[in-house]
Amino acid sequence: MLKAANPDRPDLLTWAFLALGLALLPVGLYVALSAPPDVNQGYLARIMYLHVPTAWLGYLAFFVTFLYSLLYLFRQDPRYDRVASASAEIGLVFMGLALVTGMLWARPTWGVYWTWEPRLTTTAILFAVYVGYFLLRGAIEDPELRRKAAAAVGVLGFINVPISYMSVKWWRSLHQTQSIDLTTGKIHMAPEMLQALLFNLLVFTLLYLGFVRFRGFLAALEARKQEA
Amino acid sequence: MRRVLLLALRDLRLEVRDRSGLLSLLVFFAVMLFVMALALGPEEAPLRRAAPGVLWVALAFMSTLLSSRAFALEVEEGTLDDLLLTPGGKEWIYLGKLLFQLLLLFPLSLLALLMAAGLFYLPLERGLPLLFTLFLGVLGYASVATFYAGLLARLRGREALLPLLLFSLVVPVVLASVRATAGLVEGLPVAEVADWWRLLLVFDVVYVTASALLFPVVLEG
Repeated sequence: MLKAANPDRPDLLTWAFLALGLALLPVGLYVALSAPPDVNQGYLARIMYLHVPTAWLGYLAFFVTFLYSLLYLFRQDPRYDRVASASAEIGLVFMGLALVTGMLWARPTWGVYWTWEPRLTTTAILFAVYVGYFLLRGAIEDPELRRKAAAAVGVLGFINVPISYMSVKWWRSLHQTQSIDLTTGKIHMAPEMLQALLFNLLVFTLLYLGFVRFRGFLAALEARKQEA
Repeated sequence: MRRVLLLALRDLRLEVRDRSGLLSLLVFFAVMLFVMALALGPEEAPLRRAAPGVLWVALAFMSTLLSSRAFALEVEEGTLDDLLLTPGGKEWIYLGKLLFQLLLLFPLSLLALLMAAGLFYLPLERGLPLLFTLFLGVLGYASVATFYAGLLARLRGREALLPLLLFSLVVPVVLASVRATAGLVEGLPVAEVADWWRLLLVFDVVYVTASALLFPVVLEG
Protein backbone atom coordinates (compact mmCIF):
# COMPACT_ATOMS: atom_id res chain seq x y z
CA MET A 1 0.00 0.00 0.00
CA LEU A 2 2.94 2.23 0.71
CA LYS A 3 4.28 2.24 -2.83
CA ALA A 4 1.12 3.96 -3.94
CA ALA A 5 1.96 6.88 -1.67
CA ASN A 6 4.86 8.09 -3.80
CA PRO A 7 4.70 7.24 -7.52
CA ASP A 8 4.52 9.55 -10.54
CA ARG A 9 1.19 8.13 -11.56
CA PRO A 10 -1.13 5.54 -10.03
CA ASP A 11 0.47 2.14 -10.61
CA LEU A 12 -0.99 -0.91 -12.27
CA LEU A 13 -2.16 -2.51 -9.04
CA THR A 14 -4.20 0.57 -8.15
CA TRP A 15 -5.94 0.54 -11.51
CA ALA A 16 -6.46 -3.21 -11.24
CA PHE A 17 -8.16 -2.87 -7.83
CA LEU A 18 -10.33 0.01 -9.01
CA ALA A 19 -11.31 -1.64 -12.29
CA LEU A 20 -12.06 -4.99 -10.67
CA GLY A 21 -14.05 -3.36 -7.88
CA LEU A 22 -16.09 -1.19 -10.22
CA ALA A 23 -16.67 -4.06 -12.66
CA LEU A 24 -17.86 -6.40 -9.92
CA LEU A 25 -20.08 -3.82 -8.25
CA PRO A 26 -23.09 -4.44 -10.57
CA VAL A 27 -22.57 -8.18 -10.13
CA GLY A 28 -22.65 -7.70 -6.38
CA LEU A 29 -25.83 -5.68 -6.74
CA TYR A 30 -27.38 -8.44 -8.84
CA VAL A 31 -26.41 -11.13 -6.35
CA ALA A 32 -27.80 -9.02 -3.51
CA LEU A 33 -31.11 -8.37 -5.27
CA SER A 34 -31.58 -11.98 -6.29
CA ALA A 35 -30.77 -13.41 -2.88
CA PRO A 36 -33.72 -15.07 -1.16
CA PRO A 37 -35.79 -12.79 1.08
CA ASP A 38 -35.45 -13.11 4.83
CA VAL A 39 -37.99 -15.13 6.83
CA ASN A 40 -38.89 -12.26 9.12
CA GLN A 41 -37.94 -9.14 7.23
CA GLY A 42 -38.68 -10.12 3.65
CA TYR A 43 -37.00 -8.03 0.97
CA LEU A 44 -36.03 -5.42 3.48
CA ALA A 45 -33.13 -7.59 4.61
CA ARG A 46 -31.37 -6.91 1.32
CA ILE A 47 -30.14 -3.55 2.50
CA MET A 48 -27.80 -5.65 4.62
CA TYR A 49 -25.74 -6.42 1.52
CA LEU A 50 -24.88 -2.75 1.38
CA HIS A 51 -24.94 -1.96 5.09
CA VAL A 52 -22.59 -4.66 6.33
CA PRO A 53 -19.86 -4.07 3.70
CA THR A 54 -19.84 -0.31 4.28
CA ALA A 55 -19.59 -0.78 8.05
CA TRP A 56 -16.88 -3.40 7.57
CA LEU A 57 -14.94 -1.01 5.37
CA GLY A 58 -15.29 1.73 7.95
CA TYR A 59 -13.72 -0.55 10.56
CA LEU A 60 -11.07 -1.82 8.16
CA ALA A 61 -10.13 1.68 7.05
CA PHE A 62 -9.78 2.89 10.63
CA PHE A 63 -7.67 -0.15 11.40
CA VAL A 64 -5.36 0.71 8.51
CA THR A 65 -5.22 4.29 9.80
CA PHE A 66 -4.29 2.95 13.23
CA LEU A 67 -1.57 0.74 11.78
CA TYR A 68 -0.01 3.41 9.60
CA SER A 69 -0.28 6.01 12.37
CA LEU A 70 1.75 3.71 14.60
CA LEU A 71 4.24 3.14 11.80
CA TYR A 72 4.52 6.88 11.28
CA LEU A 73 5.17 7.51 14.96
CA PHE A 74 8.03 5.04 14.99
CA ARG A 75 9.55 5.70 11.57
CA GLN A 76 8.66 9.38 11.01
CA ASP A 77 8.25 8.82 7.27
CA PRO A 78 5.60 11.15 5.72
CA ARG A 79 4.51 8.37 3.36
CA TYR A 80 3.00 6.45 6.27
CA ASP A 81 1.07 9.53 7.29
CA ARG A 82 -0.32 9.91 3.78
CA VAL A 83 -1.67 6.37 3.78
CA ALA A 84 -3.12 6.86 7.27
CA SER A 85 -5.01 10.01 6.34
CA ALA A 86 -6.15 8.60 2.99
CA SER A 87 -7.56 5.58 4.78
CA ALA A 88 -9.25 7.72 7.43
CA GLU A 89 -10.90 9.80 4.74
CA ILE A 90 -12.32 6.76 2.96
CA GLY A 91 -13.28 5.20 6.26
CA LEU A 92 -15.21 8.32 7.16
CA VAL A 93 -17.16 8.18 3.89
CA PHE A 94 -18.03 4.52 4.27
CA MET A 95 -18.88 4.86 7.96
CA GLY A 96 -21.24 7.67 6.98
CA LEU A 97 -22.81 5.40 4.37
CA ALA A 98 -23.18 2.65 6.97
CA LEU A 99 -24.97 5.07 9.28
CA VAL A 100 -27.29 6.24 6.50
CA THR A 101 -28.14 2.74 5.26
CA GLY A 102 -28.67 1.68 8.85
CA MET A 103 -31.12 4.53 9.37
CA LEU A 104 -32.99 3.69 6.18
CA TRP A 105 -33.36 0.14 7.41
CA ALA A 106 -34.29 1.14 10.94
CA ARG A 107 -37.25 3.28 9.89
CA PRO A 108 -39.44 0.43 8.55
CA THR A 109 -38.09 -2.15 11.00
CA TRP A 110 -37.91 -0.33 14.30
CA GLY A 111 -40.26 2.49 13.37
CA VAL A 112 -37.72 5.26 13.90
CA TYR A 113 -34.68 6.50 12.02
CA TRP A 114 -32.56 6.84 15.08
CA THR A 115 -32.60 5.43 18.55
CA TRP A 116 -29.98 5.88 21.25
CA GLU A 117 -28.99 2.28 21.20
CA PRO A 118 -25.33 1.37 22.02
CA ARG A 119 -24.30 0.18 18.56
CA LEU A 120 -25.68 3.26 16.87
CA THR A 121 -24.33 5.59 19.49
CA THR A 122 -20.83 4.12 19.53
CA THR A 123 -20.76 4.16 15.73
CA ALA A 124 -21.83 7.80 15.61
CA ILE A 125 -19.11 8.61 18.14
CA LEU A 126 -16.57 6.73 16.06
CA PHE A 127 -17.62 8.89 13.14
CA ALA A 128 -17.13 12.00 15.29
CA VAL A 129 -13.64 10.88 16.34
CA TYR A 130 -12.49 10.83 12.74
CA VAL A 131 -14.21 14.12 11.97
CA GLY A 132 -12.06 15.42 14.83
CA TYR A 133 -9.04 13.80 13.17
CA PHE A 134 -9.51 15.98 10.11
CA LEU A 135 -10.37 19.09 12.11
CA LEU A 136 -7.09 18.63 13.94
CA ARG A 137 -5.21 18.22 10.68
CA GLY A 138 -6.78 21.41 9.43
CA ALA A 139 -5.89 23.34 12.57
CA ILE A 140 -2.14 22.71 12.67
CA GLU A 141 0.16 24.65 10.36
CA ASP A 142 3.47 22.96 11.03
CA PRO A 143 3.45 19.81 8.85
CA GLU A 144 5.52 17.68 11.20
CA LEU A 145 3.45 18.51 14.26
CA ARG A 146 0.31 17.95 12.20
CA ARG A 147 1.42 14.48 11.19
CA LYS A 148 2.35 13.57 14.76
CA ALA A 149 -0.85 14.90 16.29
CA ALA A 150 -2.96 13.20 13.63
CA ALA A 151 -1.12 9.94 14.20
CA ALA A 152 -1.80 10.18 17.92
CA VAL A 153 -5.53 10.62 17.28
CA GLY A 154 -5.40 7.80 14.74
CA VAL A 155 -3.97 5.47 17.38
CA LEU A 156 -6.06 6.54 20.36
CA GLY A 157 -9.29 6.86 18.38
CA PHE A 158 -9.07 3.32 17.13
CA ILE A 159 -9.82 2.01 20.61
CA ASN A 160 -13.44 2.92 19.90
CA VAL A 161 -13.63 0.43 17.03
CA PRO A 162 -13.59 -2.76 19.11
CA ILE A 163 -15.97 -1.09 21.57
CA SER A 164 -18.35 -0.34 18.74
CA TYR A 165 -18.00 -3.82 17.29
CA MET A 166 -18.54 -5.57 20.61
CA SER A 167 -21.32 -3.24 21.77
CA VAL A 168 -23.97 -5.53 20.29
CA LYS A 169 -22.79 -8.42 22.42
CA TRP A 170 -21.98 -6.49 25.58
CA TRP A 171 -25.29 -4.72 25.78
CA ARG A 172 -27.51 -7.37 24.13
CA SER A 173 -29.32 -4.60 22.39
CA LEU A 174 -31.88 -3.90 19.72
CA HIS A 175 -29.37 -4.15 16.90
CA GLN A 176 -28.90 -7.49 15.15
CA THR A 177 -26.09 -9.53 16.62
CA GLN A 178 -23.32 -10.25 14.17
CA SER A 179 -24.31 -12.71 11.46
CA ILE A 180 -20.68 -13.65 11.13
CA ASP A 181 -19.21 -13.59 14.59
CA LEU A 182 -15.48 -12.90 14.30
CA THR A 183 -14.82 -13.65 17.96
CA THR A 184 -16.18 -17.19 17.93
CA GLY A 185 -16.24 -17.97 14.20
CA LYS A 186 -19.90 -18.98 14.27
CA ILE A 187 -22.14 -18.10 11.35
CA HIS A 188 -25.87 -17.58 11.72
CA MET A 189 -27.16 -17.20 8.19
CA ALA A 190 -28.61 -19.10 5.26
CA PRO A 191 -25.86 -20.23 2.84
CA GLU A 192 -27.26 -18.34 -0.19
CA MET A 193 -27.45 -15.12 1.78
CA LEU A 194 -23.99 -15.69 3.18
CA GLN A 195 -22.53 -16.14 -0.30
CA ALA A 196 -24.13 -12.92 -1.48
CA LEU A 197 -22.85 -11.06 1.55
CA LEU A 198 -19.33 -12.42 1.25
CA PHE A 199 -19.26 -11.52 -2.43
CA ASN A 200 -20.27 -7.95 -1.65
CA LEU A 201 -17.71 -7.76 1.12
CA LEU A 202 -15.04 -8.80 -1.36
CA VAL A 203 -16.17 -6.23 -3.95
CA PHE A 204 -16.14 -3.42 -1.43
CA THR A 205 -12.75 -4.42 -0.08
CA LEU A 206 -11.32 -4.34 -3.60
CA LEU A 207 -12.81 -0.88 -4.08
CA TYR A 208 -11.32 0.24 -0.79
CA LEU A 209 -7.85 -0.95 -1.76
CA GLY A 210 -8.13 0.91 -5.05
CA PHE A 211 -9.43 4.06 -3.38
CA VAL A 212 -6.74 4.11 -0.70
CA ARG A 213 -3.91 3.66 -3.18
CA PHE A 214 -5.37 6.31 -5.46
CA ARG A 215 -5.87 8.76 -2.59
CA GLY A 216 -2.34 8.09 -1.40
CA PHE A 217 -1.08 8.99 -4.85
CA LEU A 218 -3.09 12.22 -4.84
CA ALA A 219 -1.76 13.09 -1.38
CA ALA A 220 1.79 12.55 -2.65
CA LEU A 221 1.11 14.96 -5.52
CA GLU A 222 -0.29 17.54 -3.10
CA ALA A 223 2.72 17.21 -0.82
CA ARG A 224 5.10 17.64 -3.73
CA LYS A 225 3.23 20.71 -4.89
CA GLN A 226 3.44 22.27 -1.44
CA GLU A 227 7.15 21.67 -1.22
CA ALA A 228 7.81 23.16 -4.66
CA MET B 1 8.81 7.17 40.02
CA ARG B 2 10.30 9.90 42.21
CA ARG B 3 10.17 12.33 39.31
CA VAL B 4 6.51 11.59 38.72
CA LEU B 5 5.70 12.35 42.32
CA LEU B 6 7.87 15.47 42.41
CA LEU B 7 6.30 16.91 39.27
CA ALA B 8 2.78 16.19 40.50
CA LEU B 9 3.45 17.69 43.92
CA ARG B 10 5.09 20.79 42.45
CA ASP B 11 2.08 21.43 40.20
CA LEU B 12 -0.28 20.72 43.05
CA ARG B 13 1.50 23.23 45.28
CA LEU B 14 1.31 25.89 42.57
CA GLU B 15 -2.35 25.18 42.06
CA VAL B 16 -3.27 25.24 45.75
CA ARG B 17 -1.35 28.47 46.35
CA ASP B 18 -3.43 30.09 43.66
CA ARG B 19 -6.76 29.14 45.15
CA SER B 20 -8.87 31.19 42.74
CA GLY B 21 -8.46 28.65 39.93
CA LEU B 22 -9.83 25.75 41.91
CA LEU B 23 -12.60 27.83 43.39
CA SER B 24 -13.74 28.99 39.97
CA LEU B 25 -13.90 25.36 38.82
CA LEU B 26 -16.16 24.39 41.70
CA VAL B 27 -18.38 27.41 41.22
CA PHE B 28 -18.58 26.60 37.52
CA PHE B 29 -19.71 23.12 38.42
CA ALA B 30 -22.33 24.40 40.85
CA VAL B 31 -23.71 26.88 38.33
CA MET B 32 -23.97 24.11 35.76
CA LEU B 33 -25.96 21.98 38.20
CA PHE B 34 -28.28 24.91 38.92
CA VAL B 35 -28.89 25.58 35.25
CA MET B 36 -29.58 21.91 34.57
CA ALA B 37 -31.91 21.66 37.53
CA LEU B 38 -33.79 24.73 36.33
CA ALA B 39 -34.05 23.30 32.84
CA LEU B 40 -35.34 19.96 34.11
CA GLY B 41 -38.02 21.41 36.33
CA PRO B 42 -38.77 21.08 40.02
CA GLU B 43 -40.28 17.57 40.27
CA GLU B 44 -38.22 15.06 42.16
CA ALA B 45 -38.52 11.98 39.92
CA PRO B 46 -37.15 13.42 36.63
CA LEU B 47 -34.37 15.17 38.51
CA ARG B 48 -33.29 11.96 40.14
CA ARG B 49 -33.41 10.09 36.86
CA ALA B 50 -31.30 12.71 35.13
CA ALA B 51 -28.81 13.03 37.97
CA PRO B 52 -26.14 10.50 36.86
CA GLY B 53 -26.06 11.96 33.35
CA VAL B 54 -25.88 15.53 34.62
CA LEU B 55 -23.15 14.64 37.10
CA TRP B 56 -20.89 13.00 34.52
CA VAL B 57 -21.38 15.54 31.78
CA ALA B 58 -20.61 18.35 34.22
CA LEU B 59 -17.56 16.42 35.41
CA ALA B 60 -16.42 16.03 31.83
CA PHE B 61 -16.59 19.79 31.33
CA MET B 62 -14.75 20.37 34.56
CA SER B 63 -11.96 17.95 33.71
CA THR B 64 -11.51 19.59 30.30
CA LEU B 65 -11.08 22.96 31.96
CA LEU B 66 -8.66 21.46 34.42
CA SER B 67 -6.59 19.59 31.86
CA SER B 68 -5.62 22.71 29.97
CA ARG B 69 -4.24 24.05 33.26
CA ALA B 70 -1.82 21.15 33.45
CA PHE B 71 0.34 22.56 30.69
CA ALA B 72 -0.74 26.20 30.67
CA LEU B 73 1.88 27.30 33.20
CA GLU B 74 4.66 25.32 31.55
CA VAL B 75 3.97 27.01 28.24
CA GLU B 76 3.59 30.49 29.74
CA GLU B 77 6.85 30.27 31.63
CA GLY B 78 8.60 28.42 28.84
CA THR B 79 9.53 25.56 31.15
CA LEU B 80 8.16 22.79 28.94
CA ASP B 81 11.44 22.63 27.03
CA ASP B 82 13.35 22.37 30.29
CA LEU B 83 11.26 19.37 31.24
CA LEU B 84 11.99 17.82 27.86
CA LEU B 85 15.73 18.37 28.29
CA THR B 86 15.97 15.98 31.23
CA PRO B 87 17.88 12.82 30.36
CA GLY B 88 16.13 9.44 30.04
CA GLY B 89 12.60 8.52 28.99
CA LYS B 90 9.89 11.15 28.94
CA GLU B 91 6.95 9.01 30.06
CA TRP B 92 7.28 10.43 33.54
CA ILE B 93 6.17 13.89 32.35
CA TYR B 94 2.86 12.44 31.23
CA LEU B 95 2.50 10.34 34.36
CA GLY B 96 3.36 13.27 36.59
CA LYS B 97 0.83 15.49 34.93
CA LEU B 98 -1.74 12.71 35.08
CA LEU B 99 -1.12 12.22 38.78
CA PHE B 100 -1.47 15.96 39.32
CA GLN B 101 -4.80 15.91 37.47
CA LEU B 102 -6.03 12.99 39.53
CA LEU B 103 -4.95 14.51 42.83
CA LEU B 104 -7.00 17.60 41.99
CA LEU B 105 -9.86 16.03 40.12
CA PHE B 106 -10.68 13.28 42.56
CA PRO B 107 -11.38 15.50 45.59
CA LEU B 108 -13.14 17.98 43.33
CA SER B 109 -15.35 15.28 41.85
CA LEU B 110 -16.10 13.98 45.32
CA LEU B 111 -17.39 17.43 46.25
CA ALA B 112 -19.23 17.47 42.95
CA LEU B 113 -20.90 14.16 43.74
CA LEU B 114 -22.07 15.52 47.09
CA MET B 115 -23.40 18.66 45.44
CA ALA B 116 -25.20 16.70 42.74
CA ALA B 117 -26.62 14.34 45.35
CA GLY B 118 -27.93 17.24 47.37
CA LEU B 119 -29.49 19.10 44.48
CA PHE B 120 -30.82 16.14 42.52
CA TYR B 121 -32.08 13.90 45.33
CA LEU B 122 -29.49 11.16 44.75
CA PRO B 123 -29.34 8.51 47.46
CA LEU B 124 -25.77 7.93 48.64
CA GLU B 125 -26.23 4.78 50.68
CA ARG B 126 -23.84 2.73 48.58
CA GLY B 127 -20.93 5.06 49.05
CA LEU B 128 -18.05 2.68 48.38
CA PRO B 129 -19.19 1.36 44.97
CA LEU B 130 -20.06 4.93 43.99
CA LEU B 131 -16.58 6.09 44.97
CA PHE B 132 -15.07 3.27 42.94
CA THR B 133 -17.10 4.30 39.88
CA LEU B 134 -16.07 7.89 40.42
CA PHE B 135 -12.41 6.94 40.54
CA LEU B 136 -12.51 4.78 37.42
CA GLY B 137 -14.42 7.37 35.46
CA VAL B 138 -12.25 10.28 36.54
CA LEU B 139 -9.12 8.32 35.69
CA GLY B 140 -10.54 7.65 32.23
CA TYR B 141 -11.20 11.34 31.61
CA ALA B 142 -7.89 12.47 33.00
CA SER B 143 -5.83 9.97 31.00
CA VAL B 144 -7.10 11.23 27.65
CA ALA B 145 -7.41 14.87 28.70
CA THR B 146 -3.83 15.08 29.93
CA PHE B 147 -2.51 13.54 26.74
CA TYR B 148 -4.39 15.92 24.47
CA ALA B 149 -3.60 18.93 26.63
CA GLY B 150 0.09 18.13 26.22
CA LEU B 151 -0.28 17.53 22.51
CA LEU B 152 -2.09 20.79 21.90
CA ALA B 153 -0.24 22.85 24.51
CA ARG B 154 1.78 24.85 22.02
CA LEU B 155 -1.07 25.37 19.58
CA ARG B 156 -3.18 28.41 18.97
CA GLY B 157 -6.93 27.81 19.13
CA ARG B 158 -6.52 24.87 21.50
CA GLU B 159 -9.38 26.06 23.70
CA ALA B 160 -11.91 25.05 21.07
CA LEU B 161 -10.04 22.06 19.71
CA LEU B 162 -9.40 20.35 23.03
CA PRO B 163 -13.03 19.71 24.07
CA LEU B 164 -13.92 18.74 20.54
CA LEU B 165 -11.30 16.02 20.31
CA LEU B 166 -11.67 15.03 23.91
CA PHE B 167 -15.41 14.51 24.09
CA SER B 168 -15.65 12.17 21.16
CA LEU B 169 -12.91 10.04 22.69
CA VAL B 170 -14.19 9.92 26.25
CA VAL B 171 -17.78 9.12 25.37
CA PRO B 172 -17.26 5.45 26.24
CA VAL B 173 -16.20 6.61 29.70
CA VAL B 174 -19.23 8.87 30.06
CA LEU B 175 -21.53 6.11 28.86
CA ALA B 176 -20.12 3.47 31.18
CA SER B 177 -19.87 5.78 34.19
CA VAL B 178 -23.42 7.05 33.77
CA ARG B 179 -24.79 3.54 33.46
CA ALA B 180 -22.80 2.32 36.46
CA THR B 181 -23.87 5.26 38.59
CA ALA B 182 -27.49 4.93 37.53
CA GLY B 183 -27.39 1.21 38.29
CA LEU B 184 -25.99 1.81 41.76
CA VAL B 185 -28.50 4.52 42.54
CA GLU B 186 -31.43 2.43 41.37
CA GLY B 187 -30.24 -0.38 43.62
CA LEU B 188 -29.16 -2.95 41.03
CA PRO B 189 -26.95 -5.76 42.40
CA VAL B 190 -23.23 -5.08 42.17
CA ALA B 191 -22.78 -8.02 39.76
CA GLU B 192 -24.78 -6.17 37.11
CA VAL B 193 -22.85 -2.96 37.59
CA ALA B 194 -19.56 -4.87 37.42
CA ASP B 195 -19.83 -5.13 33.61
CA TRP B 196 -19.58 -1.36 33.36
CA TRP B 197 -16.68 -1.30 35.78
CA ARG B 198 -14.91 -3.86 33.64
CA LEU B 199 -15.35 -1.68 30.57
CA LEU B 200 -14.09 1.35 32.46
CA LEU B 201 -11.12 -0.58 33.77
CA VAL B 202 -10.17 -1.83 30.31
CA PHE B 203 -10.52 1.68 28.94
CA ASP B 204 -8.38 3.17 31.72
CA VAL B 205 -5.60 0.63 31.37
CA VAL B 206 -5.50 0.88 27.58
CA TYR B 207 -5.54 4.66 27.47
CA VAL B 208 -3.04 5.24 30.26
CA THR B 209 -0.59 2.77 28.70
CA ALA B 210 -1.09 4.01 25.14
CA SER B 211 -0.83 7.66 26.17
CA ALA B 212 2.28 7.12 28.26
CA LEU B 213 3.96 5.34 25.34
CA LEU B 214 2.87 7.86 22.71
CA PHE B 215 3.50 10.99 24.73
CA PRO B 216 7.30 11.19 24.35
CA VAL B 217 7.09 10.51 20.61
CA VAL B 218 4.50 13.21 20.08
CA LEU B 219 5.98 15.90 22.32
CA GLU B 220 9.52 15.86 21.04
CA GLY B 221 10.00 17.30 17.64
